[in-house]
Amino acid sequence: MSFFRRLDLGRAILTAFVVAFFVFMTLPIGIVVVASFTDASFVAFPISGWSLRWFRRIFEYQPYLDSIAVSLQIAFGATALSCLIGIPAAIALARSPSAWASAVMTYLLSPLSMPMIVIGFAALFFLSRVGVGVSFTALLIAHTTVCLPYIVRTVAATYRGTARSYEEAAALLGANPLQVFWHVILPLIRPGIVAGSLFSFLVSFDNLPISYFFGQPGTLTLPVVMLSYMEHQFDPSIAALSTLQLLLAIVGLVIVDRLYGIDKMTMGD
Amino acid sequence: MTDFTRRGLLQTGGLLGAAAFANLPLTAAAQAGEITVTALGGIWEEAVKKAFVEPFERKTGAKANVLLGSPPQWLSQVEANPKNPPIDVIIVTPDLAINAAKMDLVDTFTVEKVPNLADIPAEFTNALSGKGTVFDYGVAGITYNKKTVKDPPKSFKDFVDRTAAGEWTASLPGISYAVTPIMLMWAMARALGGSVDNIDPFFDAMKKMRKNVIFWGGPNDFFNHLSSGEADIGIYFDGRTWAHVDAGADWIDFINPSEGGSINALAVQKPKNAKDLAWEYINVMLSPESQLKFAEMLSYPVTNKKVQYPPHLAKRFTPWQEAHFPPYEEIAKVRAQWVDRWNREVGG
Repeated sequence: MSFFRRLDLGRAILTAFVVAFFVFMTLPIGIVVVASFTDASFVAFPISGWSLRWFRRIFEYQPYLDSIAVSLQIAFGATALSCLIGIPAAIALARSPSAWASAVMTYLLSPLSMPMIVIGFAALFFLSRVGVGVSFTALLIAHTTVCLPYIVRTVAATYRGTARSYEEAAALLGANPLQVFWHVILPLIRPGIVAGSLFSFLVSFDNLPISYFFGQPGTLTLPVVMLSYMEHQFDPSIAALSTLQLLLAIVGLVIVDRLYGIDKMTMGD
Repeated sequence: MTDFTRRGLLQTGGLLGAAAFANLPLTAAAQAGEITVTALGGIWEEAVKKAFVEPFERKTGAKANVLLGSPPQWLSQVEANPKNPPIDVIIVTPDLAINAAKMDLVDTFTVEKVPNLADIPAEFTNALSGKGTVFDYGVAGITYNKKTVKDPPKSFKDFVDRTAAGEWTASLPGISYAVTPIMLMWAMARALGGSVDNIDPFFDAMKKMRKNVIFWGGPNDFFNHLSSGEADIGIYFDGRTWAHVDAGADWIDFINPSEGGSINALAVQKPKNAKDLAWEYINVMLSPESQLKFAEMLSYPVTNKKVQYPPHLAKRFTPWQEAHFPPYEEIAKVRAQWVDRWNREVGG
């Protein structure tokens, strides 16, 4: 009897802990969402009345709209470039027993261990010195540098988890290397590509420390505009923008989950 | 049931990626007849466009592209590209302006290049060794909640004594905020008999006040402290106080302490090798009409002597002669020591 009482108590504590944890995680986000519907001209909680005026403000403030377009272009562009470079690299390196392969893999993942502001600052001076300057191209290159590890890491992990015998069987049946890649390897590593692309896209879309150094009138990203706005204005439009971003992230995850299954992607099988 | 397909998703991603690459040709530098100018975000950007960009474009027929961001970002870009700066006009805080002048990154201002410079008090240009000038300023003083502080302090000394006595909770700028060594440490030390070389009066005051003080990390935090009731009073900027009042927070007010608060200014500079058209833009920035428009939109005073403020603004604005221009160069030399001492003695 006392065993069951202990069991119930333990379960109750665990449940309480889990609930407290989720409240701790979601409450600040919830407050931002609620604050975005305020009718007041400044952020205050609890809110005085309900209004959609700050969502309207997003569409009235042109730099928000322009920067959303730039952020999407950069995020898709950097993700596409990272796939072009990262997928062949991951396939070449993942199963190689060579010490060099391990060294190159570590090198490709190294941007993850560097503070992004250091990468941004260094990239600004390096790309300026080699003539790329402060431009869309420079921003795209710098973003690709930090997106690449996410593609390499997930694709390499997925590729290592697949049996070599599928490729061997295809080759024995007469497939050339390109056909093996297209019809066998690519379908097998697709969950890794999608997972890596998703991370890469989100890392680029939310990036501030790198984008900060490459802003030009036509290449300002959303986080740079949001920071600049927040520093000098205190209205709740940032909360409204954050609510929209949250909604987009949820919609994106639901779409990807329905197409591929997030569980499958995170397990890498 | 879903209308989305993997192939469709990949194709869409590919198309958008291609669209990103299609943007590559946009990387070319600004065309002739175009300049790149700078603005802080939000209402600041709107004021720059209305007060400076529109009259400049009307007058010259040229185009001024506005770059949002912050002074350290713009100066980094100029420093990385000194021969072909991507920005033609930068706005900077005086400490950074002095650094840029020392690094020889910016041009010297003269009345021949900028005729309206003649109407800017010489102090604002001389402070930057002639390599730029201050075009607007604010004063850091005492902002308080009128509902909870019925009898506000009139001086820094009064503020310190009554905070120490527990009459209210004060919100002060924390050490993570870049301007704190100027707007709080130097200004308060000076008001209490100290100087750049003698910061002790500030730390003595902090020791007395510490238990009744909380800190803000960014200007918006201060307003949150007051609106949530966590604090009743604090050290803050006049212009931001008036902007809050205009946004509906009519329960706050501002006092320039009798000893004089610190001037927190913004300067304009032209990077070396930037387009000559930039001088025309700077001249428009410093004209009485543009300056007045800017002051009306931002609730911060401007520096052109010919500007006549409407009564409601004249009542709010602190004349620069009643505040103190910080000795930025001297403060820069001892700043690290002050921060270290703050971390050891004040914390938070």
